Amino acid sequence: MEKKISEMNYNEEAIVKSIDEDLKLKVAGMGIRVGKNLKMITKHPMKGPVVVSVDGANTSLGLGVADKIIVEIE
Amino acid sequence: MTKLDVDERWDLIDKISKKTVTFGEYKHTLKDAIGELTVKPLTGIPIAIAVLYGFWSFFSSFAGFFTDGFFVKLFDEHWLLWLQEIFPGKESWLYYIFVGDPSATNCFEAFGVLTSGFFVAIGVVLPAIVAFYLILTLLEDSGYLPRLAVLIDTILHRIGLHGYAIVPTILSLGCNVPAVAATRVLETRKERFIMMTILAIFIPCGAQLGIMKEVIPDTMGFVIFYLFMGYLIFGFILNKIIPGKTPEMLIDVPPYQMPTAQNVGRKLWMRTSSFFKVALPFVLLGCVIVNVLYLTGFIAWMGDILSPLFIGWFGVPSETAGPLIAAFLRKDLAVAQLSAIEMTRYQMISAVVLVSIYFPCVATFAMMLREGWKELLGSIAVLAMVVTLYGGLLHLIWILLGVA
Amino acid sequence: MKILLMGHPNVGKSVLFNRLTGANVIESNYPGTTIDYTKGYMRVGGEEVEVIDVPGTFSLDPKDKAEEVAVKMLHESRDATVICVIDASKIERGLYLVLEIVEEGYSVAIALNMWDVAEDKNIKIDVVNLERILGVPVVSTTAISGEGIKELVSRSRGTAPVEVDDIFERVED
Repeated sequence: MEKKISEMNYNEEAIVKSIDEDLKLKVAGMGIRVGKNLKMITKHPMKGPVVVSVDGANTSLGLGVADKIIVEIE
Repeated sequence: MTKLDVDERWDLIDKISKKTVTFGEYKHTLKDAIGELTVKPLTGIPIAIAVLYGFWSFFSSFAGFFTDGFFVKLFDEHWLLWLQEIFPGKESWLYYIFVGDPSATNCFEAFGVLTSGFFVAIGVVLPAIVAFYLILTLLEDSGYLPRLAVLIDTILHRIGLHGYAIVPTILSLGCNVPAVAATRVLETRKERFIMMTILAIFIPCGAQLGIMKEVIPDTMGFVIFYLFMGYLIFGFILNKIIPGKTPEMLIDVPPYQMPTAQNVGRKLWMRTSSFFKVALPFVLLGCVIVNVLYLTGFIAWMGDILSPLFIGWFGVPSETAGPLIAAFLRKDLAVAQLSAIEMTRYQMISAVVLVSIYFPCVATFAMMLREGWKELLGSIAVLAMVVTLYGGLLHLIWILLGVA
Repeated sequence: MKILLMGHPNVGKSVLFNRLTGANVIESNYPGTTIDYTKGYMRVGGEEVEVIDVPGTFSLDPKDKAEEVAVKMLHESRDATVICVIDASKIERGLYLVLEIVEEGYSVAIALNMWDVAEDKNIKIDVVNLERILGVPVVSTTAISGEGIKELVSRSRGTAPVEVDDIFERVED
């Protein structure tokens, strides 16, 4: 099933499916890219940011950013 | 020279990684668990409050220990007495400017350049600034700061800022000057304007905090709360009326690390010394100018003119005009001066709040001008409005509570 | 010779810098910004070498002001040797930055720092093979304890620019 990062649940794991073109370069340095396993660490309520883990590195994404990355849940 | 695009680069890394790296079974460690607990809202927010409270206690006991335990004695019992003895011409204006009131028994009330000026700068501000920068550096080097930024992002987004605006905000608690400079790390003009304006108005600097602790120890909590609410309320309003975008958060949340003494020491030294290069001349010059304004009768005259506004609208004695003018030069001096004026507990709170939100000190002012005169004018317009409304509101609260 | 220390934030770059340089350290703001960087000197085989601790960055496509400064500083020193300090436990995203710098034609040496952390996480890196594929010196270091620093210094002297195409070829061998 495909969904946006912003729609993932706590502790849910997924594979990154696609990243908005204008965002790709920005998140590349943080190690976020298509094909990587991504785990949701925490979601902040009231449209707050999320924290995801990729390759053991934690990155915080604002909701607007998390909306632009699509993941596939197995 | 071949250049790759993002996807080609990742493909190459995949190939390299496949040949050279093996990822074994990964055990979740205690450090990871703590790292996650401190960034999740349910556990992270209480921890953040505890951490900030802990640092606040450290700040006040560290500053208190050096100021009350050492510098007050040094300045009041030795320095002041010695100056009063050797400085010639007790009636002269030179004596008034440099040593101040000849009958003063402590350095708070004397108000000369060499007495209060030095005492405020070295005895009160130095310990506060050292304690503050030590805390900030530890927060930074341990890796806690990004977590704080994540936790606060939800709130800051409402006031048009993003999580990392916590850095200028915290810096501002040390000194507004580097904080205004630090707003440059924010990306959009809107963000920079909001940040610069509300921190110049609402965040008391380390010097002020140090002085408040000396002068109004028991009501300080309320003053800070009132200022903090103003930061949120006016930030929220500015976010609504100023056009522009707030960029989204995209930051690394690093694992915790033990700060090394060498790095902490170097940063602490760098920050403290550059603060003093900026602040010390202003403290001393501020003393001179305020004393000259007193001697020439300018301050009494201003006090007369402004007294309807002060007494009627803000509910504070007209003598506070002097400190408010001094506040433009150095806010810490102004709070120190207020302590010498006779007024009720509530008037004192109002006066301290006014000094805080009224004009930023001249050094901050100069810094803001460097960001652009349009921004500065905008900030001043907001400031005039805020002082009138928010200062008046406090008076209204006192009236409603029946204490004004 | 001039050495730039580049890498992600929080990978122990400053600690490494302190280990490399002596007491004569200058801290300054990059002109027109509040982003500060540190400059120091070290002796390599009788030669005085300038070492600059560049602000941390994740890539050469800056996403904030500090990263902008880092990229500017890199581009201002076309002839510098770049020591890329990367977190061995997050090697892939570290290599991303390394490749970007290599692609621009800089002489690069890699410090695989936080080697101890990678070991704790059961991540094993074949340093010899990595070095063969990339064609640049790769040294595992633990800045906190000082392990690998001496080797890093001596190895970073002889490094030269490499072509990405050659890396593609070598990785297939």
